[in-house]
Amino acid sequence: MDTLKLEIVTPIGQIFANDVKSVTLPGSEGEFGVLPHHASLVTLLQAGVIDIELKDGNHDVVAINWGHVKVDENSVTVLADGAISIGGSSESEIAKSLEDAKELIKSMSDSDIAIAIATSKIDSIVKTRKY
Amino acid sequence: MANLKEIKRKIKSVQNTQKTTRAMKLVSTAKLKRAEMAAKQSRVYAVKINEVLSEIAYKINQYKSEVIESRFFDKNETPSTVDIVFVTADKGLCGGFNIQTIKAVRKLLEEYAQKNIKVRLRGVGRKGIAFFNFQGVPLFATYAGVSSAPNYEKAQEIIKGAIDDFVQGTTDKVILVHNGYKNMISQELKITDIVPVEPPLDYSLDSTSLMELEPLDGGEEILNSLMQKYFEYNMYYALIDSLAAEHSARMQAMENATNNASDRVNMLTLAYNKARQESITTELIEIISGVESMK
Repeated sequence: MDTLKLEIVTPIGQIFANDVKSVTLPGSEGEFGVLPHHASLVTLLQAGVIDIELKDGNHDVVAINWGHVKVDENSVTVLADGAISIGGSSESEIAKSLEDAKELIKSMSDSDIAIAIATSKIDSIVKTRKY
Repeated sequence: MANLKEIKRKIKSVQNTQKTTRAMKLVSTAKLKRAEMAAKQSRVYAVKINEVLSEIAYKINQYKSEVIESRFFDKNETPSTVDIVFVTADKGLCGGFNIQTIKAVRKLLEEYAQKNIKVRLRGVGRKGIAFFNFQGVPLFATYAGVSSAPNYEKAQEIIKGAIDDFVQGTTDKVILVHNGYKNMISQELKITDIVPVEPPLDYSLDSTSLMELEPLDGGEEILNSLMQKYFEYNMYYALIDSLAAEHSARMQAMENATNNASDRVNMLTLAYNKARQESITTELIEIISGVESMK
């Protein structure tokens, strides 16, 4: 099975680095999904969530407040200002990261619609996730 | 006898100082590890942003078949106003760490004064600010309390003013001076030109890669926002680098202080013993001569 190498880096450190099946990114011109063998592309990202489909079919969610992405044939590099990975081993940890992520998006985005879209997206992905 | 007491008191006092310096050294060692880690982790970002930046610059060059016309890349040989951003620590007791930075800034000030170039200072860190205030050198902007706990938002705030002025044409050059971390025992003074920068053109890239740019305005929007990030990141890195250096400098300074205190204790103990012997000898002589005179 083909996979993509996804890297998410912020000035504070690397948030995510792994091989994934696909990734959906909040581009400045609209959301777009990337599968392996995507055409090379560089674009800006807006505040929102990155939906990552892992190799085992599970989804990981990373909230970002701003960023750039560079897509190559088999690698995706995201440069973000602030990124929060939603997850954790316990319910409370997940809830905490959820709050942080929503906070992060709220702080950056000025339109209510964008915030609403991002938060509902986070909620729906987290709900469907298998643990 | 008063002398003996005096020396004893001094020994005690030096020993107390030694306790403090030893504790400070341990604290700095622990903090240095953390600061070093932060600097290391953020290097990944530096590598990536340089990569993307050079690719974009290269791409735009290809598009336009001319050198990018951006003020960011315009090497201005005769600047009329220069902004100097310097980073010092908020706290002292770290050897020559702050003084080195201050000296470098003063040297730059002199150089520019000779060339009749106006300089504005933006100071980060209490120690540097206090020094220039004392000297009566006007500071254009000051940021205290950032050096000991740097974060990205603060770095953004500091550099934004400098970059905005540059873009508007108020200044022609922005220089960043900070004392950076080299290794556990040494620091390295770093003077970097923030803007204008050399366009990072790395032609080792695969020139045939058909990369699309979005939004489709020739990549200028991407370049501009990337440059913004690049500056912010440089500032942030300077802050964490400086923090790591500060801790390593303090660690060393405190190590030296502890050793010096040990030496001092030894010296004082010797003096104490000598004084004790002396007083015993004097007493003995007194007793003996007393006995002699009784005969």
